Amino acid sequence: MVLGSNQIWAPWVVDDIHAKADLGRYRIRGMSTHQKVTHFDDLTFLSTGLTRFPLEGYKEQCNTAVSLGGLNAENPLELDIPIYITGMSWGALSANAKTALGKAASMAGTASCTGDGGMLPAEREASDKLIYQVLPSRYGLNPNHMATAQAIEIVVGQGAKPGTGGLLMGVKVQDDVAISRDLPVGVDQRSPARHPDWLGPDDLAIKIEQLREATDWKVPIHVKLGACRVADDVKLAAKAGADGIVIDSMVAGTGASAEILLDHSGIPTVPAIVLAREALREIGLYRKVSLIASGGIRNGADVAKALALGADACAIGVAALIALNCNRDIPESNFEEEIGLPAGSCNRCHTGKCPVGIATQDPELTKRLDPDEGAERVANFLNSMTMELALLTRSLGKGDVKSLEPEDLAALTIEASIMAQVPLVGTNKVFGN
Amino acid sequence: MVSLDASQMTTRELNSQIKELAANGTGKITISNPAARHNIAVGILTECEIEIEGSVGYYVATLLDGPRIKIDGNAGWALGENMMSGSISLTKSAGASVAASMRGGEMFIGGDAGARAGISMKGGTLIIGGDSGFLTGFMMQKGRIIVCGDVGDAAGDSMYEGTIYCGGEVGTLGADAKIEESTEGELIEIWSLLEANGISERPHFRKIVSQKNLYHYDEQERHERPLI
Repeated sequence: MVLGSNQIWAPWVVDDIHAKADLGRYRIRGMSTHQKVTHFDDLTFLSTGLTRFPLEGYKEQCNTAVSLGGLNAENPLELDIPIYITGMSWGALSANAKTALGKAASMAGTASCTGDGGMLPAEREASDKLIYQVLPSRYGLNPNHMATAQAIEIVVGQGAKPGTGGLLMGVKVQDDVAISRDLPVGVDQRSPARHPDWLGPDDLAIKIEQLREATDWKVPIHVKLGACRVADDVKLAAKAGADGIVIDSMVAGTGASAEILLDHSGIPTVPAIVLAREALREIGLYRKVSLIASGGIRNGADVAKALALGADACAIGVAALIALNCNRDIPESNFEEEIGLPAGSCNRCHTGKCPVGIATQDPELTKRLDPDEGAERVANFLNSMTMELALLTRSLGKGDVKSLEPEDLAALTIEASIMAQVPLVGTNKVFGN
Repeated sequence: MVSLDASQMTTRELNSQIKELAANGTGKITISNPAARHNIAVGILTECEIEIEGSVGYYVATLLDGPRIKIDGNAGWALGENMMSGSISLTKSAGASVAASMRGGEMFIGGDAGARAGISMKGGTLIIGGDSGFLTGFMMQKGRIIVCGDVGDAAGDSMYEGTIYCGGEVGTLGADAKIEESTEGELIEIWSLLEANGISERPHFRKIVSQKNLYHYDEQERHERPLI
């Protein structure tokens, strides 16, 4: 036996120690965790047979529209599909990428979301429905911009790096991005982890009221949580008055994070949804306070399973970027030369050298992403996901995605049965119940 | 001038009235009986003049762009949070996080300010007639904080840019902060600002600024180094 086959001192562990011995600091990268976790692939749908009838998969109507945050808001967030584009900052992403995502969301009848860098005017123009984030950093926060939003999202934590603030390396803090954030050009930006004006849930309740007053009680106020102590956090956010809660799991993506946080904090999406659902049920607010799941949503099946477990909608980030051409070997790019990794393996969003013009502020690289073409690809992807979602829903004999429920699911592993609280396939037993 | 009695209105009604009056060009709005209520005068985006006769709670005069607001009393947390432009003048003391993430305009606190005064400030001027608390100017990005009295511990922790002027003693410095002497030009400007706010004393001010040692990670991995 040689060292390479050792479970503890695997080749990548040895390489990691070498890198840290050279650097003297934690390592940073983009994308998401490399941990193997229970995910939606560990669940399967129990479609119709003799016990219930299917709907025609390609023809019969299936309602995919959802209404979010209607508990207190005069104008809930009405979406044609239960999928929207999550908050990703102008700064982490190029202006072309943000514009493309906004256009795509409008084309698909859904919303996009600002991120930790303020509102890009082009994204506002492109997005029929824009969710405006209020983050601990307050970079670029402008009440004039907030007044134009269709929903507000207070970010408490991010699944990829819960308990910490944003991170944007100096190579991306350039020109308009630096101006918008009021930061020195080229600084390695480490955002605050705590909000500047509130600390605990009692303060949050007053903060939520403040945002309602600022927006005349018209739009929903959501709270985004990194999925960690889900049950308690969800109850506290709901009691503080949130109209919707976004649970962002440990498999969610990021433009830059300390690798140690990506791999060693938070919990996966499946148990996060179930814990949030039960927490809301316990305080009588399930299906009153909207529940939005994010982290590792890749296709219509993931969305359908998230909805069946109890979410009202899903938010996507990495999947939308991949649809934009992330990790695709486009003619203008040379991944090996420009980023040091082949297309399909790149997780170096933080370097600002994105070969496809998405995660960069370099004017030449940005040109590689045409916002109109990009928008079409992302809109196609959103439509594909929605068709997959509707197909699965009809196969379960249901004509509305809101009718999906845990009973429609079975678990393929004991771990998934425990986390999803659905029976293990071949048994009637819900493990851990 | 229009007078509004807060004791006869909900916060929602009060803010709706203020916004409507401000939009209609009402010269001056007076609010009586605030009774330390939270969230008064929030999200007003037009120029107007507001006077509040009494102490107020959290988040008063926040998310503003344009109004000139005077408050005769004390204020709770986050007075003037994220103000874009305009002015706020408070006769007594402010709680924690006064001027949090303020981006422009001028704010005057007649008494003391609590912890985290000027946290994440991005512009404008915050003047504190008395002392300020722990973590004054934490992660401050731009603008200036003028404290006539003492500044508490961890002053200027992790600030990027901007300046904290201190007329009294500094408890301890926060991470990456340092003390420098103010120039004569800076002192003349500060004294002039104080005089405009009714303070005739001319104390000597030292200033706290960033050492800028935390601007960058010390080492970068090969693939992080800018190649383009």
